[in-house]
Amino acid sequence: MKLAIRLLIVLSIFAALGVGVNAQGDYAEGTEISLLQWSHFVPRYDEWFDAYAAEWGEANGVGVTVDHVNFTELFSTLAAEIDAGDGHTIVEVLFSPASFIDGLHDLRDINEAAAEAHGERTATCHAASYLPINDAYYAYTHGYVPDPGDYDIALWTDAGYPDGPKTYDDLLEGGRAIYEATGIPVGIGMSPELDSRMANRAAIWSFGGSIQDENENVVLNSEETIAAVKYLAQLQNEAMTDEVFGWTAASNNQALIAGEVSYILNSNSAYRSLQKIDEAAAANIGFTPALAGPAGAYASSHVWQIYVIPKYVEGDELAAAKQFILDHTENYSDVTYYSELYNFPCYPTTVPELDGWLEADPWGSEPPNKFEVLKTVNDWSVHLGFPGVTNPAVSQVFAESIIPNMVAQVALGEQTAEDAVAAAHERIEEIFADWRARGMVGGM
Amino acid sequence: MPSLRHPFDNQRLVGTLFLAPALLYIVLIVGFPFLLAIAFGFSDVTVGNTELNFVGLRNFEAVWDNAIFRQVFETTIRFTLISQVFILLFANILAIIFTQDFTGKWFARFIFILPWATPVSLAMIGWLWMLDTKYSPIDYLLLQTGFLGRGGILSDDRNLFWLASPDLAQISVIFVQVWRMTPLATVILMAGLSSIPTDILDQAEVDGSRFMRTLLLIKLPLILPIMVIALLFSMITMFGDMTVVYVLTRGGPVDYTRVLGLYSFQVGIEGGNLAQGAAISLFAFPLLLAMAIFMLRTASRAEVR
Repeated sequence: MKLAIRLLIVLSIFAALGVGVNAQGDYAEGTEISLLQWSHFVPRYDEWFDAYAAEWGEANGVGVTVDHVNFTELFSTLAAEIDAGDGHTIVEVLFSPASFIDGLHDLRDINEAAAEAHGERTATCHAASYLPINDAYYAYTHGYVPDPGDYDIALWTDAGYPDGPKTYDDLLEGGRAIYEATGIPVGIGMSPELDSRMANRAAIWSFGGSIQDENENVVLNSEETIAAVKYLAQLQNEAMTDEVFGWTAASNNQALIAGEVSYILNSNSAYRSLQKIDEAAAANIGFTPALAGPAGAYASSHVWQIYVIPKYVEGDELAAAKQFILDHTENYSDVTYYSELYNFPCYPTTVPELDGWLEADPWGSEPPNKFEVLKTVNDWSVHLGFPGVTNPAVSQVFAESIIPNMVAQVALGEQTAEDAVAAAHERIEEIFADWRARGMVGGM
Repeated sequence: MPSLRHPFDNQRLVGTLFLAPALLYIVLIVGFPFLLAIAFGFSDVTVGNTELNFVGLRNFEAVWDNAIFRQVFETTIRFTLISQVFILLFANILAIIFTQDFTGKWFARFIFILPWATPVSLAMIGWLWMLDTKYSPIDYLLLQTGFLGRGGILSDDRNLFWLASPDLAQISVIFVQVWRMTPLATVILMAGLSSIPTDILDQAEVDGSRFMRTLLLIKLPLILPIMVIALLFSMITMFGDMTVVYVLTRGGPVDYTRVLGLYSFQVGIEGGNLAQGAAISLFAFPLLLAMAIFMLRTASRAEVR
């Protein structure tokens, strides 16, 4: 009943806005849509999604096909399809595709429709799909993934922190004590890969630094950033091994499962992997929200689930795609549930059960309220361009791994924090200037 | 009565027809993407907009001003040159061994060619496991034999961190490139050694020339043009390669193993700046062209002599 009412509201809004989304099943004979998305970390989710998509297609008289690929192939495939002017109807990417904006449909209509139906969207989702300089919604972000800290309860209890580290000072003091006593290090990556890029940003934000300000001006070279980089270098030198310079997307999972790390920053994926292998070991893993630094507690969302529709999609195919996206959001309780609480909703009202699930994990965590710290996730989970938006320049800075390389150089003792930050700032200025010349970045 | 000649009696025509598929292949698979890369390099294209608006040398100037690019360019040249030294050395040794008669020669040749025949991405996943930062089997063996671990000769740590230590990561990438490229160079050199007329070698033997003398004064000079071709193939392949570092290190630690192909991909595709990505890749072209001309001339001169 509730679902039907919501659907009615959404359809009414579309009718009022005149955005051209057809009513259910009102598409030309033979209308087909195709989706390209990653092979989800949780196989159960893909099983649910594929069945859901097929059911949606039958109910709406639309042929639906879903292709799953490794997440590293999403951007290159999207680029090729836009260049070819042909390809999938909907592509789901995991990081802001702002640099693709010219090849994508503006999805203002469905963004506004969803906001009308479900209320305010979380800030991390909004910033990953809206470019203010063009006033364009180049994407529709339906979900995001929290990136809390995972800590070894027994080790941290012995070190005097039974609830795990709460601040960056705790992480250094406790992590160092554990490393000296047991040889088990902290695992914060400092290598050119995804997890390191986000973990290093989290520290910089929490120390008060950032790549850009709210107005998209580059502000990396600051006392706050330098302090964060010095902190990270000290943390590496005193509580971590050189492994972090070769960190990969799998390192968190490997290290946690092997019991060879005292603290990591990760989605719930490493924990869920461990839970399936060794329930007792999983029970010994606790979660912390973003660690607090001198300027607050911030962590990047781990990834985002971002739908885009390339401009080559037209007519009923486009209308059906938009309807599919909105209906998918309607069913976000299932999305969150079948992803084993990996996907969090951009529209919190779509998953009213979420707080209950965080208090009692439906997937059998011990203790059941293990994920309760994630109730506050929207207070500390931010996006790559924080405190501005995630624009194309921010994406290129991310792709070039400028931040983790800057940190690693200092940790390796090759540069002072001041020099490394200044050099990174210079490169980032170049990138921002280039995209600004294209009219895709504000500031200055 | 004039005789009717069949069109296939015309050698120029037949030659052109035989060459046509190869030329078509080169134009479509190599020429077109190359011209497209040039067009991209002089434009402001992005992954979302491939409309070609001419911007002159802006991208090339921006790339040259980029300190990371200059570091990457230097790394690419260094990796390529160091690898070639080892590839040439090993290829010569192995080519000489494999052209001798010994039991199991064909099996040995088969095993040896495998690194070249295996798809590079698959082979790199194997090496990624071998060189894993935590679970490397090499580290395990060193640990068991007392080279690693507390009081170990190499390190007190349980791991050497092959892909995380700046020095070891560079050595690992060069080693894997040598492992991958040596079979091709060996096969080319084997073909060269097999083509040396036996009467020359017989004459040398009759004159009392020993192995090293025959090798250094007869065999190597005679296969020099082919050696240059092998070197050229190997250098060009390696200069443009990104798969090895993409799988093994993604350019890390820091920028120590980042090469042109990878950086071009990171900027152009992952970063969305297609124009600058194209400009980065084009910087290799003049260097490779000059290298190819020099080496082909060297080969030609050696052949004439």
